[in-house]
Amino acid sequence: MHEYAFFLGCIAPNRYPGCEASAIKTSEKVGIKLLPLKGASCCPAPGAFGSIDLNVWYAMAARNVVLAEEMKKDIALICNGCYKSIYEVNHILKHNDELRDGVNEVLAEIDMQFKGSIDVWHLAELYYDEKICGLKKIRDSVTTPLNGVKIAAHYGCHLMKPQKERHFGDTENPMWFEELIEALGAEPVQYRNKMQCCGAGGGVRGYDIVHALDITNEKMINVREAGADAITEVCPFCQLQFDRGQIEIKEKFGDVYNIPVLHYNELLGLAQGMSPQDLALDLHAIDCTPFLKKVL
Amino acid sequence: MAAKTYNIPELDTKLADRRYHLTDANPEFTQKILKTSRTIANMCYQCGTCTGSCPSAPRSSYRIRLFMRRCVLGLEDEALTDPDLWLCTTCYSCTDRCPRDIAPTDVIMAMRNLAFLRDIVPKNFLQTCQLIYNSGHGVPNNDVNRAARTKLGLPADPPTTHSYPEFIKGIQKIIDHYGLKENADRILKGD
Ligand code: SF4
Ligand code: SF4
Repeated sequence: MHEYAFFLGCIAPNRYPGCEASAIKTSEKVGIKLLPLKGASCCPAPGAFGSIDLNVWYAMAARNVVLAEEMKKDIALICNGCYKSIYEVNHILKHNDELRDGVNEVLAEIDMQFKGSIDVWHLAELYYDEKICGLKKIRDSVTTPLNGVKIAAHYGCHLMKPQKERHFGDTENPMWFEELIEALGAEPVQYRNKMQCCGAGGGVRGYDIVHALDITNEKMINVREAGADAITEVCPFCQLQFDRGQIEIKEKFGDVYNIPVLHYNELLGLAQGMSPQDLALDLHAIDCTPFLKKVL
Repeated sequence: MAAKTYNIPELDTKLADRRYHLTDANPEFTQKILKTSRTIANMCYQCGTCTGSCPSAPRSSYRIRLFMRRCVLGLEDEALTDPDLWLCTTCYSCTDRCPRDIAPTDVIMAMRNLAFLRDIVPKNFLQTCQLIYNSGHGVPNNDVNRAARTKLGLPADPPTTHSYPEFIKGIQKIIDHYGLKENADRILKGD
């Protein structure tokens, strides 16, 4: 078993608890154990905090990292926004003495110190990583293959970009997420401009919802054009933007899509035999039933 | 070559002088951005690849290339008072495509930090800070969700600051160190 401190963030545990439940259960079936990271907070939101004062963003994210350092465990997480804060701040502070000293001065006030002793991973990259899990283990864990459905992969922004500060390679047309979908028996579809942002980030969802939804709407048009039965992503904030966003798009622009939006962990959960109730899919704004009827 | 005259003495003097005029510019602004953004914004040659990659550009007047120019020329007021500053989704498409290896996204973040120092900041950013200050979460738990969590076999509150509120004090100390909550309260009250 590979053990990780499970950093939850906000939207997964507090809006889509199925993402949290499925992460814990699905990972265990492929040799990954997620341990609670007690006392963790918001990552903090890179858009809101980073925009106001980057120094607070560094210090707050560092506090979350230090909690895992104290457990002597690497962090695993399931949200691109959290990845931006936790992965990036960990990386920056490891390599920038001046910023690290500044952060440690503040952390000393609460008897903490950033040491730079752990690494941060997105659960999706651990699933793909042959050394930890890999596609074969994912495939072998599937008991209910999701045959007969087309799924559009939304990679999101902050997992892979900026490319030079990450390790995922190509950010124009990556294919690893499609491979993860294929491993569940579903058919990944290609669609126009698939790397485009969901529209929610940078505080824009809160600042100008119509602007954010207009970006989301463009994405939805492209997803529908490809005939997708569902969208999958690895970020609960993108999930919220596509899922609740479709209701808001209907209200604001009159466009209707009704395309269910599922986190990859939720899809994997279904493929491993978890029931829709085990995943709290009824909390999704867009009804997942038509999709479920096709696969179950 | 003599400069064209418009018969406005002040303008004629300016036009005769082909140097770059600093009257609206603050070179310190450029330096501050370079430091905070940790990117080589001064290397921008205005190719426009960033704007061409930007999901916000086709649906607004927001032009990231324009902000890059304002950064290089030190046009502080123009940059910080433009409401478009807050339309960047931080998607980093421009950053991955910039042929000069600049991170325009981080220039925007640095500008937003500087705008905040002048109390220029949209409310929703401050409200998120207040929520985190009070609960540790930007998106806190609620009763519907607690019921759903319990049904899933999860604890009603996640093992974060929600279950361990003793950690909130540390978070407040960090935020107070930078005076952020105080400023957020003050700015929101003034609105
Ligand atoms: S892509 Fe880079 S060099 Fe080109 S205008 Fe934008 S910031 Fe400047
Ligand atoms: S990071 Fe901001 S400026 Fe750059 S392409 Fe994305 S939305 Fe546009």
